[in-house]
Amino acid sequence: MKSLNMQSMAKSVTTRVVRLWIFGLAVAGALTTLPAATPAAAHGERSQQAFLRMRTLNWYDVKWSKTELNVNDEMELTGKVHVFSGWPQAVARPGESFLNVGEPGPVLIRKSAFVGEVPVPRTFSMDVGKDYEYKIVLKARRQGRYHVHVQINVKDGGPIVGPGQWITIKGDMKDFTNPVTLLEGSTIDLETYGITWTYIYHFFWMAAAAAWILYWFMTKGIIVRYWQVKAGKGAELIGQDEKRIGAITLAVVLLGVLVFYAAANREFPRTLPMQAGLLTGISPIDEPRSTVAVQFKGGSYTVPGRELRIRVKVANNGKDPIRLGEFTSAGLRFLNPDVFTSRPDFPDYLLADRGLSVSDSNPIAPGETRDLEVIVQDARFDIERLSDLAYDTDSQFGGLLFFFSPSGERQKAEIGGPVIPKFQAGAAL
Amino acid sequence: MSASTETGSPAGKTWKSKEEFLGCVILTDWILLVVLFAVLLGSFHIHYMLLAGDWDFWIDFKDRRMWPTVAPIVAMCFAAASQSFFWTRFRLPIGATTVVLALLIGEWINRYDNFWGWTFFPINLVFPSALIPMGFWLDIVLMISGSWLVTALVGGLGWGLLFYPINWPVLAQYHQAAEVDGVLLTLADLIGFNYVRTGTPEYIRMVERGTLRTFGKDVVPVAAFFAGFISMLVYFLWWNMGKWFSTTKYLEIEEV
Repeated sequence: MKSLNMQSMAKSVTTRVVRLWIFGLAVAGALTTLPAATPAAAHGERSQQAFLRMRTLNWYDVKWSKTELNVNDEMELTGKVHVFSGWPQAVARPGESFLNVGEPGPVLIRKSAFVGEVPVPRTFSMDVGKDYEYKIVLKARRQGRYHVHVQINVKDGGPIVGPGQWITIKGDMKDFTNPVTLLEGSTIDLETYGITWTYIYHFFWMAAAAAWILYWFMTKGIIVRYWQVKAGKGAELIGQDEKRIGAITLAVVLLGVLVFYAAANREFPRTLPMQAGLLTGISPIDEPRSTVAVQFKGGSYTVPGRELRIRVKVANNGKDPIRLGEFTSAGLRFLNPDVFTSRPDFPDYLLADRGLSVSDSNPIAPGETRDLEVIVQDARFDIERLSDLAYDTDSQFGGLLFFFSPSGERQKAEIGGPVIPKFQAGAAL
Repeated sequence: MSASTETGSPAGKTWKSKEEFLGCVILTDWILLVVLFAVLLGSFHIHYMLLAGDWDFWIDFKDRRMWPTVAPIVAMCFAAASQSFFWTRFRLPIGATTVVLALLIGEWINRYDNFWGWTFFPINLVFPSALIPMGFWLDIVLMISGSWLVTALVGGLGWGLLFYPINWPVLAQYHQAAEVDGVLLTLADLIGFNYVRTGTPEYIRMVERGTLRTFGKDVVPVAAFFAGFISMLVYFLWWNMGKWFSTTKYLEIEEV
């Protein structure tokens, strides 16, 4: 008796604990889902490893032709990308790449995409060490304010996200159209094309299936059938009448399949298989050889000061004196205020307009070779988590240096190599 | 429901009347139907999304070789298991139809609410594969033959063969050709290109990749026969899987 009481009490307590757990889970679920969610401000590019962003694709001259559009307006996202020579061993090379857009769903659709002069609706190949120019034509589809990035997906390497800009779209998505002219001459709206028929076709068959299930369920249910099968009377449940109903149903179903199939072939007599395949041989940017040679001599990163110091030997083989004006890496731009007297049009979160300085700011004369210490210092380096380089298995930085002549002519030089993190007492990475 | 004439179960002790007993049976039947449907919907949906995945999600993955091979084979698993349960326990010829209807209801909820409602992908990019006539075929072959062996051989082969013709009435319109910037694309390709998927680059499509080159453009029948053949084998395995799970022996006797 005592044992039974204890069992009863234990059962009661267990039940209450389970109920409390369920209640707690429900409360937790409500608290985490019911409050208004804030829109995502980025696409996870900061979570990508620093060495991946710095030493794979270096984006430059990125431009968004508009930042405010109405639904159905078009804009261009253009720029250049340098495929880093010291491409990390841990990442697959960009032999199969796809020019993409980082945005929260198709709020802008991609009408065209080009690398150089070549349209790239498909996968293409890039060579390490080369520069490519790209252009993406986007058409505004859904109203709102969105962060829109250029992005290149590399097979077995993942998406490599470039700089992003806030784009505001006004209007209403229900007014959006996407006209496409077919090869046979007619024009359709791809936004809605074929959707009604897709619904009709699917729901017709689903209704037929529901009718079939309910017919058998309503005749004898489930439990009664179970009892009869259990009693060895299963064969009585499916007799000749039932088989006849089945055969007729199957005949009607197969006839329906045949009719729909023939109707589709009659309506669309000329169809093609989907088109796929790798686009190779895309020409990189045809630019004159740089007259600046830069040799990396070592570097360090001071963690508490958010300061990257690199020592370089710069040889000016050109005809004009040059000064270092910009270091760019992972979409961030660090500018030398001695060279950039006005702020360029670029997203603020990626533009450190006073983030670059050099140990000797005098111009490097033609034919001169000079050792320089380049100092990159800005909170953005840390905010964009490039200081996480110290956590990477391959702690080498990478990027592009831009030198400028007095006339504004720009020379580009790739730079990269190992940097040593400097920790100070009490500082945490 | 015609339960009243054939039950013959003892009414009187637990129930006040035979009518009350029959009402209880019918109510339990409905609860069972709804619960079974929901369980099949959830489990088959997860299974199918994990194994057919992108082939079922996107129109520009639905090619002539990989899609008609993969989709029917992985769909056969739950169809066979569900038939095993409904047929051996209840002699109900609805196992395959129920499970594909459950899957499609789940998929349509997912495609409409998530893909269209939350991320604005148009339905013509994300509609699921049609499977219902295959469910009819499998159920009726089992009902007429009364044999799971015949159903595996005949039903399994038909299951694979029917898949592409069933889907073609919707798919055909998206295989019309268009020229974009001098490049030939089908509308299916173009929808995939226009409506940006940040995490789904073009190269992960597997459009007619493989070594099957002998049959020229007529790859669908070969893929369908292969799918049918593998579906037979899958049927054997999953029929027994369904049988294995269609029991109460895993529960303690006091709980039953």
